[in-house]
Amino acid sequence: MPTKLSRREFIRLCAGSAAAISMSGFLAPFMAEAAEAGAPPVIWIQGASCTGCSISLLNTVHPSIQDVLLKVISLRYHPNVMAAAGDLAIQEAMYKVARENKGRFFLVVEGSVPTAADGMFCTVGEENGKPITFQKLVQDIGGQAKAILAFGTCSAYGGIPATPPNPTGCKPVADVVKNVPVVNVPGCPPHPDWMVGTIAHVILYGDYPELDEFGRPKMFFSGIVHDNCPRRQYFDNAIFAKNFSDPGCLLEIGCKGPIAHCDATTRPWNGGVNWCIKSGAPCIACTEPQFPGWPMYERLPEMPIAPGITTTIDQVGLVLGGAAVVGIGGHLIGNIATGRVGFKKDEKEGDN
Amino acid sequence: MKEMELRHPIWIRIFHWTNMIAITLLMLTGYYIHAPQTFRLFDNMDTPRMLHFAMAYVLCVGVVGRVYYAIVTGDWKNILFSPLKDIKNFPSMMKYYLFLADSHPDYGKYNPGQKMMYSGWLFMALIQIITGFILYKPDLFPGLGALLGGLIAVRVIHYVVTWLFLLSVLAHVYLDISEGIPVLLSMFTGKMPKDFHHTSDGPKVPQPGKGVSA
Repeated sequence: MPTKLSRREFIRLCAGSAAAISMSGFLAPFMAEAAEAGAPPVIWIQGASCTGCSISLLNTVHPSIQDVLLKVISLRYHPNVMAAAGDLAIQEAMYKVARENKGRFFLVVEGSVPTAADGMFCTVGEENGKPITFQKLVQDIGGQAKAILAFGTCSAYGGIPATPPNPTGCKPVADVVKNVPVVNVPGCPPHPDWMVGTIAHVILYGDYPELDEFGRPKMFFSGIVHDNCPRRQYFDNAIFAKNFSDPGCLLEIGCKGPIAHCDATTRPWNGGVNWCIKSGAPCIACTEPQFPGWPMYERLPEMPIAPGITTTIDQVGLVLGGAAVVGIGGHLIGNIATGRVGFKKDEKEGDN
Repeated sequence: MKEMELRHPIWIRIFHWTNMIAITLLMLTGYYIHAPQTFRLFDNMDTPRMLHFAMAYVLCVGVVGRVYYAIVTGDWKNILFSPLKDIKNFPSMMKYYLFLADSHPDYGKYNPGQKMMYSGWLFMALIQIITGFILYKPDLFPGLGALLGGLIAVRVIHYVVTWLFLLSVLAHVYLDISEGIPVLLSMFTGKMPKDFHHTSDGPKVPQPGKGVSA
């Protein structure tokens, strides 16, 4: 038995832990035990990304990131933090681990997968003098994994690289590898606890956690930011901030809290210090599948009225409203001129 | 005393006015929720939101009830816009509205323009109800919200259709009042003078001379 922590306790811990205790710290001994007992290895690869998700993971403060990487997660390959490099790393740390643990290891993908030009927009190494594209790597390695953990909105839903016009043809991992289950841990970047918690779940139980409609673990992504917002009282009292960092609800400067799913309201960043809305910046709904398909600091996007031309809905409405008023006025004049309204009609009706 | 005939049975009038109250309050509260800084009708968010959600349910009941009534009484034949049959009546109707003719043929209870507007309102009300509930309870229909392009796109749809409601209600109110006070009164009393209509086969004599010059 690799763990004394039941899955039910684990989920409750992840969903409820919040700032009060450091989840990673609490989980570390259980996971170290699991790792000693032969927990599945984890391979971490990066594609069209900014490495922000890895940086976010490195913000895990307690226990130190060394302990997380070396003792807690049996991480065999990570482009940024491992010592090995070049062919040695790719062949020994990645392909060999994948081959030996076929169907048992978990693959973490950070960044979306460029598919245009046969994936040549993103290459990760060389094989027989030919570049290995990230698309091929994800398909080869991902196809042998037990499950893929898509960390960050880019790998989960496409994110910033897949935003139109998307010249590199970036796609989320789930569109590239179809035969392996994919767990999406979105966020730009995801909170370290979301990543460590998801990895911990798969290591402790050899299985991925319960997912919602969009493939996100329910233990972290079931709440709506607006419903749990510490500034909610401002919204109810209609006190709105006009600028960043003003007191008040941030809705009028584009807060997307009402559509965003995550538990950042109770799980602040930087070791529990602060988070987006508490620091006076509106939520940009970075955990949603359509991110970043909206203006971040506007309430509503503009609507297209012709190819390449957009305008606000209010402007369209006011123009149409103005046209309607002019039309009604003109018609009213016509009505009076032709005697359709006024006293003439009654006379006519009296004649009948 | 003019001879009166029943134009709007009691259930049509009940649904008309409950829907009118619901839609008016939905638009007012909705616009406050959309732009609380510029449209200062309320001084908090609780009241308009509560009213908005309550009126949403009133509108649901009104729409379902009106559709049920239309189906069981056969009233749908008066209202439902049929592209095949009604489009060809458009020219004669437009001639009347543009003062090119002083009368129009008898189209039945409603002319094709009215049919199009009233059928359109059913369509728009359904869009508003669906998008509204997606925004009200985002986790109840997550797949539907994603299908429509995400919750921000749903918001845009909800807001655009609100504008369409506002503009079409404007036209509706004007056209009703300009047709004469008896038309307006008939939605309260249900009755209308028997010889009121502007149809060419009605009691009125068409005046072709006027039409050409206008």
